[in-house]
Amino acid sequence: MTAEEAIILDAVIAPGHDGAAELVVSLRHPNGGLETVSLDAELGFHLMKSCGVASAADLPGKPWRRILEGL
Amino acid sequence: MFDIVIRGGLVVDGTGEAGFAADVAIQDGKICEIGQGLGAGRREIDAKGRVVAPGFIDPHTHFDVQLLWDGAAKPALEHGVTSIVPGNCSLSLAPLKAADRAAVVGMFQQIEEMPPEAFTIAFDWTWEDFAGYCDAIAKTLSVNVAPLVGHSVIRLFVMGPAAQERTATRDEIVAMQTLLRECLEAGAVGLSTSFVDVDEKGHPVPSRYADSAELDGLCAVLGEFDRMLQVVPEFYATDITLARIDQLAELSLKHKIPTTFSPLFDSRGNADNAPRAIARVEEQFARGARVWPQMQTRPIDLSFSLLRPSLFFARLPRWVRVLRQPLAERIASLSDPETAARMIADAGPDGGLAMLGSLVLRGGDGAPPELTGQTLAQIAQARGQGCARALIDLSLEHGLDVAFLAASLGHEDTSRIGPMLAHPLVHIGASDGGAHLASFATYGDTGYLFSEFVQKGHLSLEAAVKKITSDTADIWGLKNRGRLAPGWAADVVVFDAKGLARGEERPVFDMPGGGMRYTRDATGVDTVLVNGEVAYADGAYTDARSGVICT
Repeated sequence: MTAEEAIILDAVIAPGHDGAAELVVSLRHPNGGLETVSLDAELGFHLMKSCGVASAADLPGKPWRRILEGL
Repeated sequence: MFDIVIRGGLVVDGTGEAGFAADVAIQDGKICEIGQGLGAGRREIDAKGRVVAPGFIDPHTHFDVQLLWDGAAKPALEHGVTSIVPGNCSLSLAPLKAADRAAVVGMFQQIEEMPPEAFTIAFDWTWEDFAGYCDAIAKTLSVNVAPLVGHSVIRLFVMGPAAQERTATRDEIVAMQTLLRECLEAGAVGLSTSFVDVDEKGHPVPSRYADSAELDGLCAVLGEFDRMLQVVPEFYATDITLARIDQLAELSLKHKIPTTFSPLFDSRGNADNAPRAIARVEEQFARGARVWPQMQTRPIDLSFSLLRPSLFFARLPRWVRVLRQPLAERIASLSDPETAARMIADAGPDGGLAMLGSLVLRGGDGAPPELTGQTLAQIAQARGQGCARALIDLSLEHGLDVAFLAASLGHEDTSRIGPMLAHPLVHIGASDGGAHLASFATYGDTGYLFSEFVQKGHLSLEAAVKKITSDTADIWGLKNRGRLAPGWAADVVVFDAKGLARGEERPVFDMPGGGMRYTRDATGVDTVLVNGEVAYADGAYTDARSGVICT
């Protein structure tokens, strides 16, 4: 992990527009910019798996680029 | 003698002005007089102690299919909704070539969760063009319909399968413009498009393959008619939504058209989302653009079953591991005493009471009907189990086809949402009526506006009525609707201001082929008139078929 990439700041569970649970991921970009992205179940579990965590509570601090792995 | 006189009610006329005691007289489908002591009507409706208001207008629905066998768009009408806008999110049922029907049915099933029988036994396909679809539904309408035409179907009509493969050529864009023009002349009130939706195979819907030149060309045609562009932006990411607001503003300014986007909702997980979007909308309106964000009134419930992996359990590592397994392995793991014991331990020392106890059993699936509506805490207590154990065992006993609901987990903070709904640039809508049939009930948002936001003082009665009547009609350019005034269409709802609300969500099996959907009854609505005819009264629908295609 370096300061040259986006880092996950937080990940919380929230209901999406369709009533399914989503993973709302907060990010900090290298330039300091903050962003929030909502992931559906498929992508949310994929991110957790790619980051090697079994709980969303362990996502903070992980690199956001991991979401691209295996897609 | 008048046709109908609604006598002695509090007239809230949709303008936002203070309500006043008066009679409302109706003749030939229109309001003809409002005042005290009006002469007799062939039919008299006693409205003492009741509010008399314009019929509500729902600008975001997916009743396109249902209207072919249910002209009342049940239960929308009984909630006081007299006009609906179907055809949202890039999808309508016309224009549509016979050869393309299967593709569009798949898209509708993905969005609406409509059972297949709805498309095979409930109606005959008698049309290909937009006028033909309007004719097909117009015969039995009890509500008014202001239909959008979907960008995806226009694209499919012109490009065939290539609509989901590539951008359009210049000639194809011109053909789409011609087709859109025909639809608008036939009664479409605008064009809907989507940057988000997928078909039943997970492929982007056709509208998502359009480039900016195509959208610009179609908006130029909307500009000829001063008609609406409705958009589903990438609402899962605030910054992209803001970029879409800017894009819509440019289209609005260039082509002098109104635009609207949906959904916009509040979430604890992204508390800045709605405020930032509204702030950007304010900036664009200040430039002269019209970009109306649609916000729903109802809170968002979260639902899940163990049939599919749900992120509801994303903070419980042992549950995540088990629920991500293929179905057969998942059932084996849930049935394994040691695995189940570890999962239950994950749920807390109270056996999951704090974490899971308030979950509600939804029904409409494999669950025993007698348990529908009970909390997991109640069910667990009756079974002599902890909550996590009861959830696992109950699911196993019914093939995992048992759905649980965590109520009001999103868009639920009235103190935040009330001021947003009251904001003059926020368009109340996004009900999605007629969609998500097997997931949740998309009805009763109008009642909830009153029972929650008016009762708690965030909007006055008059402001709430204005928001869902004249504001909506003005935003969409619907002529002679949304107000109680002489000469205007007699779309009227008579309701109890204190009792207007939405009923509990419940499963019903009234879709073609016995398909299930979730619905909500209305409470507090006495009488609904559509174009001067009583369409709903005393808790029952009438035989009136006075709805029209309205523009």
